[in-house]
Amino acid sequence: MEQNELLQLSHISKRYKTELALKDINMELHPGEILGFLGPSGAGKTTTIKIITGQLRQTSGEARILGTDSANIDASIYERIGVVSDDSGIYEKMTVWQNLNMFAKIWRVPRTRVEEVLRLVDLSEHSKKQAGKLSKGQKQRLVLARAVLHKPRILFLDEPTSGLDPTTAVEIHKMLLDLKKEGMAIFLTTHNMEEATKLCDNVALLYQGEIVEFGSPQELCLKYNRDKKYQILLDDRKEIILEQTPENIRKIAEWMEKDQIQCIHSCEPTLESVFLQVTGKTLNAW
Amino acid sequence: MGNMNKLAAVAQIKWLCMSQNTAVVIGPFMVIGMVWGFKILYSNFGPNGELIPVMMAMLLNLGVTMNICINGFLMVGTAIAEEKEKHTLRVLMTSSVTGMQYFIGSILYPFVLTVVINFAILWVSGIEMGQVSVPVFFLVSVIASLISCVIGMIVGICASTQMNANLIGYPLMMVFMMVPILGNLSEGLRRISGFLFTGVVTQMTDCFANGAEYKMEALDIAVLFGELIISVLVFLVMYRRNGYEKD
Repeated sequence: MEQNELLQLSHISKRYKTELALKDINMELHPGEILGFLGPSGAGKTTTIKIITGQLRQTSGEARILGTDSANIDASIYERIGVVSDDSGIYEKMTVWQNLNMFAKIWRVPRTRVEEVLRLVDLSEHSKKQAGKLSKGQKQRLVLARAVLHKPRILFLDEPTSGLDPTTAVEIHKMLLDLKKEGMAIFLTTHNMEEATKLCDNVALLYQGEIVEFGSPQELCLKYNRDKKYQILLDDRKEIILEQTPENIRKIAEWMEKDQIQCIHSCEPTLESVFLQVTGKTLNAW
Repeated sequence: MGNMNKLAAVAQIKWLCMSQNTAVVIGPFMVIGMVWGFKILYSNFGPNGELIPVMMAMLLNLGVTMNICINGFLMVGTAIAEEKEKHTLRVLMTSSVTGMQYFIGSILYPFVLTVVINFAILWVSGIEMGQVSVPVFFLVSVIASLISCVIGMIVGICASTQMNANLIGYPLMMVFMMVPILGNLSEGLRRISGFLFTGVVTQMTDCFANGAEYKMEALDIAVLFGELIISVLVFLVMYRRNGYEKD
């Protein structure tokens, strides 16, 4: 394995009694990269995270994290990775500060880092507040703060913005992009294709435990942009969609020359429609 | 050093959680209050307001066994179940804390508290301290408290919610607490009591209350250490199978 790869999955499969939950999963994660695992509920996203982080044993294949086979990792691996699951809890009766300070003691992180992280997630002024009294968005920010307190090399995020309002989700997206800039590798599972498009360098589309497509969001959208179309809004407020044909190209050029176009957009598919094309199912069908 | 940091942090987390859980905090105070209340009540039956030995024995048996069972089975078990319920157990276990650190951190304060309250019960009961062999009382208290804390960990592994922990813990508490207490009333229960660690505690406090010298017999030693080993083994088997939380 190259030093540059923080995470490598080779032919990972997981079987629960009769059900095959994961089939031949292969992927890599590098520093400063956000990799999205995109799929509907039950596709195997959480199972993958649990296998990588040693919480679950795969049936076959090899998962290497920070150079170590995940079958051989012990609790010390968590000093170098951060995990946020969709149901990561907080100690509600403790204050925000205590919630972070306890984990700072576990990881031997200085007090100044706790203060720094509180500022990062904009919770400094709530540090003495009981964690149970925070809003849902603030609680999620606290969970994220705790996960990055020890500056992990890889951050695993399982549906980090699930159930959050759009404003909080945007704040969390900004935080994740800042962490990526600092060189942290992020493994993100989500069923929110807009989130994946915005954040991820690469996405794996997971369906029934199998990666059915892999690449950057742009690559995938362009790959499935088979019938090129343009959405045009003309001066007379008429909105039309034109396919890319020699005749339509001439028509568009003529409108442009006459400055009759208010706006024009290419109609390449979104990740949602790519997923639909590949699997025949929508991401939110479950 | 790092391991001690983690252990201290887990113990502190558990202490903060337990001390903020009213249902858990009330247990030890309830035991001391009950011993004090019964002492006043029972005093009416003795000469000059003093407790007769049989009443003192009953008082000590009730107080000490109840303290051991409440703090161990319920305090430890409920605290783990609360962590499962609030989804903080997995967070802790994915923060580089080992199973052993969590185990020790979870039982440390309840264990110390149980032993301290056992001595407080002696003091509140008003027993003549000359009748008590402090080293023996300390040794038996320590082992019995340890067993009950380990059983509490088993309760915690089995339970998924606090309600669930109470449902499992209370029947256990009734068996380990009531069988020795009722042993004075029934020969059958007295025999069974001889094989329970709380039964050994009861025999010891009976002797102290009656001013007799308590000599630990081979069976008592075997029961105390045997049940400690069995409870640890059961805990280990259950932990190795599913960890603290089943997936």
